[in-house]
Amino acid sequence: MRRVKKYFTASTWRGFLSLMVFVALWQLVIFLKVPYLERLPYPADVATEGAKAVQSSGYWYNWKVSMIRIFTGFAVAQIIGIPLGLAIGLSRVFRGFTFPIFEMLRPIPPIAWIPLAILFWPTRELSIYFLVFLGSFFIIVINVIQGVGNIPVSLKWAATSLGARRKDIFWRILVPGSLPSIVVGMTVGMGVTWEVLIAAEMIAGKGGLGRATWEAYTNSAFPSIIVGMLSIGLAGYLCSALIRKISDMFMPWKRKF
Amino acid sequence: MAGNRGDSAMGSDRFGEVRIENVTKTYKKKDSSSTVLQDCTFRIERGRLTALMGPSGCGKTVLINLIAGYEIPTTGQIFLNDVPVTKPDPERLVVFQESALFSWMTVYSNVIFGCRVQGMPRKEMKDRAEHILRTVGLYEFRDKYPSQLSGGMQRRAELARALINDPKIMILDEPFRGLDALTRQLMQEFYVELFEDGGRTNFFVTHEIDEAIFLADRLVIMTFQPGKIKAEIEVDLPRPRKFGMLASHRFMEIREYAIELLYEEAAKAFAAGSKSAYDLVGAIVAQKGMSQKCE
Repeated sequence: MRRVKKYFTASTWRGFLSLMVFVALWQLVIFLKVPYLERLPYPADVATEGAKAVQSSGYWYNWKVSMIRIFTGFAVAQIIGIPLGLAIGLSRVFRGFTFPIFEMLRPIPPIAWIPLAILFWPTRELSIYFLVFLGSFFIIVINVIQGVGNIPVSLKWAATSLGARRKDIFWRILVPGSLPSIVVGMTVGMGVTWEVLIAAEMIAGKGGLGRATWEAYTNSAFPSIIVGMLSIGLAGYLCSALIRKISDMFMPWKRKF
Repeated sequence: MAGNRGDSAMGSDRFGEVRIENVTKTYKKKDSSSTVLQDCTFRIERGRLTALMGPSGCGKTVLINLIAGYEIPTTGQIFLNDVPVTKPDPERLVVFQESALFSWMTVYSNVIFGCRVQGMPRKEMKDRAEHILRTVGLYEFRDKYPSQLSGGMQRRAELARALINDPKIMILDEPFRGLDALTRQLMQEFYVELFEDGGRTNFFVTHEIDEAIFLADRLVIMTFQPGKIKAEIEVDLPRPRKFGMLASHRFMEIREYAIELLYEEAAKAFAAGSKSAYDLVGAIVAQKGMSQKCE
């Protein structure tokens, strides 16, 4: 117990130290007027700007707007994508009909959909939901297909031998067996979703962390840009942590012990 | 113990007798076809432990898939108590080479899987599971997940998952492969005792000659590509089996005879370039060398 604790403090110290070094380097770069980097704002200015931001309601409003967009698009992608992936993974016939179209659209980067999305959907908000949806949709589907395919045939055979019918195989073997891949798909999808959201907000959004960062740019407010970037990073991190948390809940057999 | 076995097994339908009759299995590829099994005919006798041996690639696993009903023979037929085998059934259960436990279920849920999907009443299911878990010594571990168990425990959990369904025949496909030497020996001891107590029909596929003779009442030896039945050997060592018998004169005799037969096939497989055959030849050559030195 004591060793674990000691190790923990050591790694915390290392993390803290590396952060200090990073900030010191940042300061140094500006101080020494390194070409191109000299226009960076001082860490202290960013910190002041950040402190100001967290006290304003506008800042938190942007958080809320971005989060709602992320979770709406992401959730719809999972609700449609997971059953679709299972169906493609299970049925050869269904795969034959749907997979070619799917594979044709999948390589198109979600950001390339922005012009069409803006023209197609009646409101900007809907087009952002749609783009966020695309960002995680293809990834979840492909991962579910793979997850179903990776379940060893011996497990299906064993279940059949033990008297399982088709619905037992589906609910007790295929669904839990592909859960790890579903989680991978969600984790990767969440990352891509944030990229897409920020791009979409910068181009088409009203409010949101991406938009706020873009507006800071148009105002040449250097410290605010960096506050925006850090906020986006933190938001993405929190979303991934949430997915990890949920996946631990649904996959007790994967827990560390 | 041996007496019990006879009484409960003989003349009853509780345990199964499997007849494999002229079974051939051919796989068609685009323009060629390969015959994996050819005209296999033998019996897996009621209430006895039959071990199948042969070099890698002789179609042992295919034969298991056919008996289990996962695949169907190209020609010929397999019968369990005179009823043709057409599909998988809880009467014929397989313990697989690599663990086929459901990793997302606890040991307990794995064990009751068969009972649950067959709709057994909850109370009976619980009683049976507790009994069988105690038999295999996993009662304390019933709430663990397979990944939290050692290799030997996983194998016992798999045995329990099959045994709870009271199958007419248990089919084991190299079940102790990959276990370390000591665990393997303990599992052999455990398994042979389980068999001697239950007297169920068992069909055991293995690479290891000592394991096969130690466990079995009868050895069936297969040829290499296409797989045919080369020989059947009665193992008339007394039961209950003890590890001391591995040093007995009779054991050595049977082993030497089996090695002669296997050596030819292993050499053929080796010539055909099978990697695991290489290992088998190596092992057999070592054993031959040893027994010749003894003489």
